[in-house]
Amino acid sequence: MNALLYLILIAGLVPIQAILLPYLSVWDVKPDLGLIAVCLVGLFGGELEGLLVGLALGWVMSLFSAGDLAYSMVTKGGAGFIAGFAGRQVAHITPVVLVMGLLVTSCVAGLIMAFSLKPHEEQDLWWALRAIVLPQACFDAVVGGALYWLVWSRLNVELWVSEYRV
Amino acid sequence: MRMVNLRAPYNTRRLALAIAAVFLLGFFLLPSQLQGVFQQVGGPVGWVLSWPFRAVAAVHDGIGDLWTGYVALQGVEEENTQLRKELEYLQGQNSQLREAASATERLTALLEFKAQALPTMVAAQVIGRDVGNWYRTIILNKGESDGLQPDMGVITAVGVVGRIVKTTAATSVVLLVTDPNNAIAGLIQRTRDEGIVEGTTQGLAHLKYIPLLSIMRTGDRVVTSGLVGGFPRGLAIGTITRIDKEEGALFQSAELTPEVDANRVEEVLVIQSHYVPTEGERLGGPAVKPKP
Repeated sequence: MNALLYLILIAGLVPIQAILLPYLSVWDVKPDLGLIAVCLVGLFGGELEGLLVGLALGWVMSLFSAGDLAYSMVTKGGAGFIAGFAGRQVAHITPVVLVMGLLVTSCVAGLIMAFSLKPHEEQDLWWALRAIVLPQACFDAVVGGALYWLVWSRLNVELWVSEYRV
Repeated sequence: MRMVNLRAPYNTRRLALAIAAVFLLGFFLLPSQLQGVFQQVGGPVGWVLSWPFRAVAAVHDGIGDLWTGYVALQGVEEENTQLRKELEYLQGQNSQLREAASATERLTALLEFKAQALPTMVAAQVIGRDVGNWYRTIILNKGESDGLQPDMGVITAVGVVGRIVKTTAATSVVLLVTDPNNAIAGLIQRTRDEGIVEGTTQGLAHLKYIPLLSIMRTGDRVVTSGLVGGFPRGLAIGTITRIDKEEGALFQSAELTPEVDANRVEEVLVIQSHYVPTEGERLGGPAVKPKP
């Protein structure tokens, strides 16, 4: 059942990211719904599910991008795993903690990409930080926080997670 | 304040760590082989995912048509008048160009030039943009099953759009001419100086490696040189807007405004094959049958 839900999540999220998200872009930067989803899955589902969904989503997203497959899989899988690990270490999560966590995770993922990009005279580290990494991290944190708040305020997440874990 | 209690079973952590370690080791030790395997498996997966892609794209197009067809009709009359004036001007220009074309045909026949074979093209629709922020790409609704392959050139009636970099069974990813990672062999139409066109981070293009003695000027059109890169000769790339000539540099460069606005492109043509003259033909040697 969960596997089916995750498949639907992947199949729905990638077209939305590629077709509808460009309309939400600010200064040519759009949030990475994949990273946000993986962090939330890791947080609620644990390390294993975070890692597996992250690897799958990273792979599928790389099929529709010029980006490197390894980078996409490793960062998304890593983000899911770290989110699961953080969810286990931090007993109580609030929206503020989630926003900060997403900000840091997105920054780290963006920095890995900035370092792994082939050196190009136009794309130095400062440009990457200023133009993509920091704006995207802020965007991811805001969108992730809003999603979490929406789910948290509308649904009984505590009960759902407890039942799921049991 | 309500809070979420998150506790996970312990043994899943070990499994997750083992999977993470396997993938990390795989990507470090066998990067190209592993990527090749995932790319190969990704073909059918891309075909399956092309269906939700088409569904979302259809909804998107429907809303877009509704908007452009009914809501955004303000100023159409003014635009219509402007377009009529442009049409009259272009009709006059067209007749002049017909004359020039017939003169060129006569001269070509006199000089016994070989006719350049028309390239085989496949029409495709743009169904999405890059899923990340690092590359400027568009996603097409045709892929390997339609005969598309990486490195094929992508154009519109206006000019060059980019080059295919990835394909699945039913989709292709096109790296735009405005991406800094793209490079296309270009030629200044007026001066015939060749250079390399690369994208910039501002979404424009840059023509590099132009000889210092070149007499290019702003407003000159840059077209594909046709020698390498999947494009036949003469396709418009952009117009020079600024010339950069640094003291002591071996070459000069120029900034281009691309002919095609990639943010608005909806349908494209993919060049499947085009005739590239062999070295012998270029130097006037015996004719060699072009490869299919």
